[in-house]
Amino acid sequence: MDKLERLLNLTAALLNTPRPLSASELRARMAGAYSEDLTAFRRMFERDKADLRAIGVPIEVTTLHRLDPPVDGYRIPASAYAGRDVRFDPDELAALHLATNLVRLEGGAGAGLARLGGAGGEGAIESAEQVVEAVTAVEAVDELPFHEALSKLVEAAIGRRAVRFTYRGAERQAEPWCLSFHRGHWYLVGWDCGQSTERIFRVDRIDGPVAMVGPAVHPAGEGPDPRTIKPWEFGAGEPVEVRVLVDADQASWACHRAGVDGERRPDGSVVLTLEVRDTAALRTFVLDFLDHAEVLEPEWLRNEVIGWLEALV
Amino acid sequence: MTSAPGQNETKLSVAERMARLLGIVPWVVKQGGAHLDDIAARFDYPRDQLLEDLTKRLFFVGVHPFTPDTLINVFIEDEIVDIEYADWFSQPMRLSSEAATRLLAAGRTVLDMSEGRVQHRPGDDTEAAPLVRALAKLSLSLGAEGSDGAGTIDVCLGHAPAATLGELRQAIAGRRRIEIEYYSFGRDAMTSRAVDPARLLSHDGVWYLFGWCHRARAERVFRVDRIRSLAVTGEPMEVELPAGAEPSLDLGDVDRTATIRLASDAAWAADYHEARQRSEQRDGAIDAVFAVASEAWLARVLVQLGPQAELVACDAGIDPDLRSATAARMLARYRR
Repeated sequence: MDKLERLLNLTAALLNTPRPLSASELRARMAGAYSEDLTAFRRMFERDKADLRAIGVPIEVTTLHRLDPPVDGYRIPASAYAGRDVRFDPDELAALHLATNLVRLEGGAGAGLARLGGAGGEGAIESAEQVVEAVTAVEAVDELPFHEALSKLVEAAIGRRAVRFTYRGAERQAEPWCLSFHRGHWYLVGWDCGQSTERIFRVDRIDGPVAMVGPAVHPAGEGPDPRTIKPWEFGAGEPVEVRVLVDADQASWACHRAGVDGERRPDGSVVLTLEVRDTAALRTFVLDFLDHAEVLEPEWLRNEVIGWLEALV
Repeated sequence: MTSAPGQNETKLSVAERMARLLGIVPWVVKQGGAHLDDIAARFDYPRDQLLEDLTKRLFFVGVHPFTPDTLINVFIEDEIVDIEYADWFSQPMRLSSEAATRLLAAGRTVLDMSEGRVQHRPGDDTEAAPLVRALAKLSLSLGAEGSDGAGTIDVCLGHAPAATLGELRQAIAGRRRIEIEYYSFGRDAMTSRAVDPARLLSHDGVWYLFGWCHRARAERVFRVDRIRSLAVTGEPMEVELPAGAEPSLDLGDVDRTATIRLASDAAWAADYHEARQRSEQRDGAIDAVFAVASEAWLARVLVQLGPQAELVACDAGIDPDLRSATAARMLARYRR
């Protein structure tokens, strides 16, 4: 029997049965689908199960105590197979189809579309082609990376679950709130259960599998936004109000980076007023402007920057 | 970029065909029949392969005891496909969390791309509305209680004012020359330039403009967030760069290097600034070799890392006393 035909029959048999079936019962019920040779059958059966699981078919394994000796029994519970009954309208499918054609995602984006009802209504495919052509003539976006951990983390964030994973060699427990792609990397924003604080993890630094460990208990928050991260805002100390003067040429760029409007002077320069908890991070920000910026206040921080520079001369 | 559905020339794997068929069967059953071409296009299934799989593989799939009412029937008449007795496959399979996450990620990327485009039609509806609804439904299928789950994924392709991106897109599409005031980070200087814009590129989460710079009389790449002001002129472009041309945005072709000795507390800088080589010293320090695209970049790194970094070697053309000279220039500002 052809492999595709065998996979279809195996799925039908596993979905149809009210009780789990052992491997040999399955072979008997799938007349002629599998080899008579026991070793060859086991090998084929294992491979078929793995292939079905890879495309998302939920095969459940239970131990069959009614047999002696007990063996593994298999079935696909209808409740696990079918999802929530979420219907997608043709224009929604067309929009998703367009997205999967427009965006390059590592490993592809569109495999799930078939399960939602395909690409959408008549004309959707042609119009998507035209949009893709028009957009790619103007702009090109790098392929987005995809990490194995991402889907578990998204599921946890949506289902409000806590997760455990290894991060830079250490075990962490977190409650995910949001996954954010920023500056070429995926970040996990959420609650760090061990440190009892909001924090950001880089998803590509998570090693190995992500395990669900139970419901989230800490109320979900916004968390720090990696889009507008201001490193000087993260620190243990009391906030200090710092005033920084930036020259006219860099003024707009500085306001954009600091996420504040600042106070313009007649010569076009700008004074930024920033809440700072980590003065070392603020120093790095100000030094980035070379001699186009300076710390005005407080006096002690201005002197600290002067001292830092004097040590380098 | 994937090719258009239904016209996919590459052969589908068995797993890909299986995954599609598990979607096709419930869809066709629900429609009460569908045209072969429509199925092929919708589900990105080569037509001949689809015909063969429906008639030779799906037909007569069944379960014990294989009585006629337990065997799937596939009728094709005038290219209209009808499927019967497929009760076990009548529900579409649940979307795996990975498949849903991939769709969500692609959808959120498009929402970020469409920022700064003209979106609003008369009324409240926007062009992005079907996508927004689809993403909310996807998050429902992942178990969200409300429709807020779609915000669980957020994609930022680059920091740039939406208005600037919008104007650049219009200028590129309309082939108009632009004039920009641009802050060159590498040379640490503000310049005015006329540019024939060719393409926008999002690379490592940063938007770049690629085009022909009249001032340099050459192709140039500009970071969009460093464009201080932008004016679209009425003039047509003078130089059209070839369609699809893309510059190299990495430092692979920079040939000047500098070696910085990083104290162990500053070892992260080797990763952060993507050192080309690194060697560990006895005291835990690291000698890291960096590509130096501009002296201003190196000056910044040295004054920011301060006592934790020493310039131990550099190519000709780079000032070996760069840190000291830069710090002195910056101090002069504080002392004036």
